[in-house]
Amino acid sequence: MTSAQLYYVIILLVYGGVDVIACLGLSQQFGVAGVTNFGFIIFQAAGAYTASVLSLPSQSANGRFQSYIGGWNLPWPVPWIGAAIVGGLIALPFTFLVGRRLRGDFAAVGLLITAVMANLLVTNYRPLLNGDAGLSLVPAPLQGEYDPTSQRYQWVYAAGAIMLAAGAFLLVRRLTESPYGRSLRAMRDNDLVADSLGKNLVSMRAAVLVLGGALAGLSGAILVGFINTWAPAAWGYAETIVLFAAVIIGGAGNHRGAVLGAILVPVAFEEITRFISGPPGVVDDLQWVAIGLLIVIFLWFRPQGVLPERRRATRAGGPPTGHIDIPNGDVVTLASAGPEPGRAAEERHATSAARAGGPLAARSVSHPAPPDENPVLRTVEVTREFGGVRAVAGVSIEVRRGTLTGLIGPNGAGKSTLLGLLAGTIPVTSGQVIYQGSDVTGVPAYRRARLGLVRTFQLASEFKRLTVMENLLSAVPANRGDSLAGALRGRRYWRGDEDAAIGRAGELLDRFGLSGYADTYAGDLSGGQRRLTEIMRALMAEPAVLLLDEPMAGVHPRLARQIGAQLLGLCAEGMTILMVEHELAIMDEFCDPVIVMAEGAVLATGTMAALRSRIEVVEAYLVG
Amino acid sequence: MSLFLASVGFGLVTAAVLAIAAVGFTMQFAVTDVLNLAYGAVMIGSAFVAYWLNQAGVNVWIGMLAAAAAGAAGSVLLNQGIYAPFQRRGSTGITMVIVSLGMTLIIEFGLQAIVGGTNVSYTMAQGPTVRAGGLILTTVQLVIIGLSVVVMVAVHGLLRHTKLGKAMRATAANRSLARNCGIRTNRIVTLTWILTGALCGIAGTVFAMNNGSFGATSADLFLVVILAAVFLGGPGQAYGAMAGAVIIGLATEVSAAYITPSYKDVVAFLVLLITMAVRPGGVLGATA
Repeated sequence: MTSAQLYYVIILLVYGGVDVIACLGLSQQFGVAGVTNFGFIIFQAAGAYTASVLSLPSQSANGRFQSYIGGWNLPWPVPWIGAAIVGGLIALPFTFLVGRRLRGDFAAVGLLITAVMANLLVTNYRPLLNGDAGLSLVPAPLQGEYDPTSQRYQWVYAAGAIMLAAGAFLLVRRLTESPYGRSLRAMRDNDLVADSLGKNLVSMRAAVLVLGGALAGLSGAILVGFINTWAPAAWGYAETIVLFAAVIIGGAGNHRGAVLGAILVPVAFEEITRFISGPPGVVDDLQWVAIGLLIVIFLWFRPQGVLPERRRATRAGGPPTGHIDIPNGDVVTLASAGPEPGRAAEERHATSAARAGGPLAARSVSHPAPPDENPVLRTVEVTREFGGVRAVAGVSIEVRRGTLTGLIGPNGAGKSTLLGLLAGTIPVTSGQVIYQGSDVTGVPAYRRARLGLVRTFQLASEFKRLTVMENLLSAVPANRGDSLAGALRGRRYWRGDEDAAIGRAGELLDRFGLSGYADTYAGDLSGGQRRLTEIMRALMAEPAVLLLDEPMAGVHPRLARQIGAQLLGLCAEGMTILMVEHELAIMDEFCDPVIVMAEGAVLATGTMAALRSRIEVVEAYLVG
Repeated sequence: MSLFLASVGFGLVTAAVLAIAAVGFTMQFAVTDVLNLAYGAVMIGSAFVAYWLNQAGVNVWIGMLAAAAAGAAGSVLLNQGIYAPFQRRGSTGITMVIVSLGMTLIIEFGLQAIVGGTNVSYTMAQGPTVRAGGLILTTVQLVIIGLSVVVMVAVHGLLRHTKLGKAMRATAANRSLARNCGIRTNRIVTLTWILTGALCGIAGTVFAMNNGSFGATSADLFLVVILAAVFLGGPGQAYGAMAGAVIIGLATEVSAAYITPSYKDVVAFLVLLITMAVRPGGVLGATA
């Protein structure tokens, strides 16, 4: 090869390294955590500018032909480290956009516009970073000691870029394959549910923004150290779309896909146009058209990308750990298979036993959990208005410890809203929620979940692209690997917690007859299996008070009664359950006491026997 | 004083252009549920249709009607060919936004490959300058303001006093419920693409007139201003978008008079970000 050809190879390697690092950061945000950052290029630009002004001499020493802030003339690697830090830090303010309240697509538009505006500002305000002309003569790393134009230097540079890209790959993989990564993926699939299971959405989104920002900043530093110039034209908003195209084509959620995409799209694609002749502007234009086409065509024909996210199988059914909360006394099989000999009788036995405080409740004798008179959860005049409509109007209820309390009422009575107020997923308009003696009215949902106040949802709320096992594991509180720091410390640090959790989850799956589905995507389950998965997931969160929103809706009546029996067993062990349900028969059989709601208010509380006639009147009057 | 009034004059013209664009955008989003970022690209494409006719000797105001037709046709094609199939498949809002960004690249740079990178202008008479109460406006600017007022009144009449408008509001509120009530929602959605596409085409032409010169990517920044007006008024709220357009239009032009004009869009951007952070549902109430 001629030296020109060799130099070309070096350029490709450096660009490849730079694009791989950027795409990995974006893949972590978009593919894993579901944060669509259309302003990603800002962070690469910030890194490049930071590295420039840290390594450039002061502007007066530079002959004042360009103006910029800084100019600290610092030795390598300080500019690169600074670039990563600044890239990460300037991501922090954007947390308020993607944090909690704003729809994902609106936040994405906000970030896109931020990118357009940041470019406009830097272009127009020359004193900051030399405006439109940009910075040039940016020193190459260690250019005092070595000759940046020598081929040896350039090979080392390319090797360094590739090694850093490999390091970035190991970093994002370590995060993604940890319990923390699982929480990120859970947030991507359904953020409201992740919130209700104790995940701090704001902190997780801030973490991926900062991490992606730092990686983007580093990539910018590597790039500017090689090409020695940086200007607004290099980071138009559309450059972010190129990176998105790379991640989508490679496979969002799969970091190998991000690497492949980075090589296929920004590198290969942009290089190919060097070899196409045509009117100068037109080739560039058509290149952008092709990027747009690639995005639309891939999203249509292969939305999962060339290398789809892989299914993560666990070693299901690990060794029993003794953590299991459900007694194994009288086995209630919840498998939804067809009728088996003797099965019906067994069920009847199980149900009646549970009702009579039989085997399932038997254990409560040894560790007593009598329904104690102090309410574990109560509300004081809670009200919730939706645009003038009082969905819940001044409701005061008490839920006593160890009871399976029913909440019944016609459609629109405010049952689900009340549940949301209790769990914190809906803020109260006025009133108080008291949990275990303390006022939790202002405590956000994820922290109430960590305190043991856990809810399920009326509509299917499984994490679709997590397996059943992963759905269960995602709810485990206090896994050492379920934090950024814990995840970074590596598998050895959290393996113990993980194995224990897998053991517990395995036993729950056995109990509920879903062992065979441990490694199935939750999105592929039947309706009834999803309800079971959701209940199991809530149990994995080790709730003290479990709030169930129609757990038996759409479930076969026989299975529903088996679930009811299981719930009674849990109450006998000291758990408290508040359950919204429509079926009077279910209420009859399992719930005591029962709270009746209609039109946002509590009508009555008491045993089902006492209330039955009243409920029927209400239902007939309001629904009939 | 005169500087202030002059900037208010510019602000009113900008607000007039912006109102047409923002009302089209927000109605499109409300009824079709597509956050169509290619709206700016369709605007410029339509403006070029008027330009080509104008070059062939046609009066630019007649060209504007052709641009409205082109915007309507382009929007319907965009929906039928791209957005509707993705929606039928159940694509998420984020996927739709990414698709619309892809379409932005395809339309804008496809257009640029044809027309080249240099800016063009319409051939048109600006008419005599009119002075009224300290405001100094050209006839063209007055016509743009008048046109905008006519469009706003027409939109109001459509939404409040016609069966189509009622059906559009119902479809925006809850598409499946509207369908179950006997509204032919598919037809309503297509009609909405036609109507808002026509608004988009008119907006593109008056934007190009007001700008003086324009190129294939000129609407990129203006899209930011449109989004600011839309979000300020609450996404999907037609009246909110009108009010948002007046506020943003005046704010950008008045601030341009006192700080540097290069930064005037930054005001829109700041308003947008603050709105998104503080009142994601829009500042100007939530009534349609």
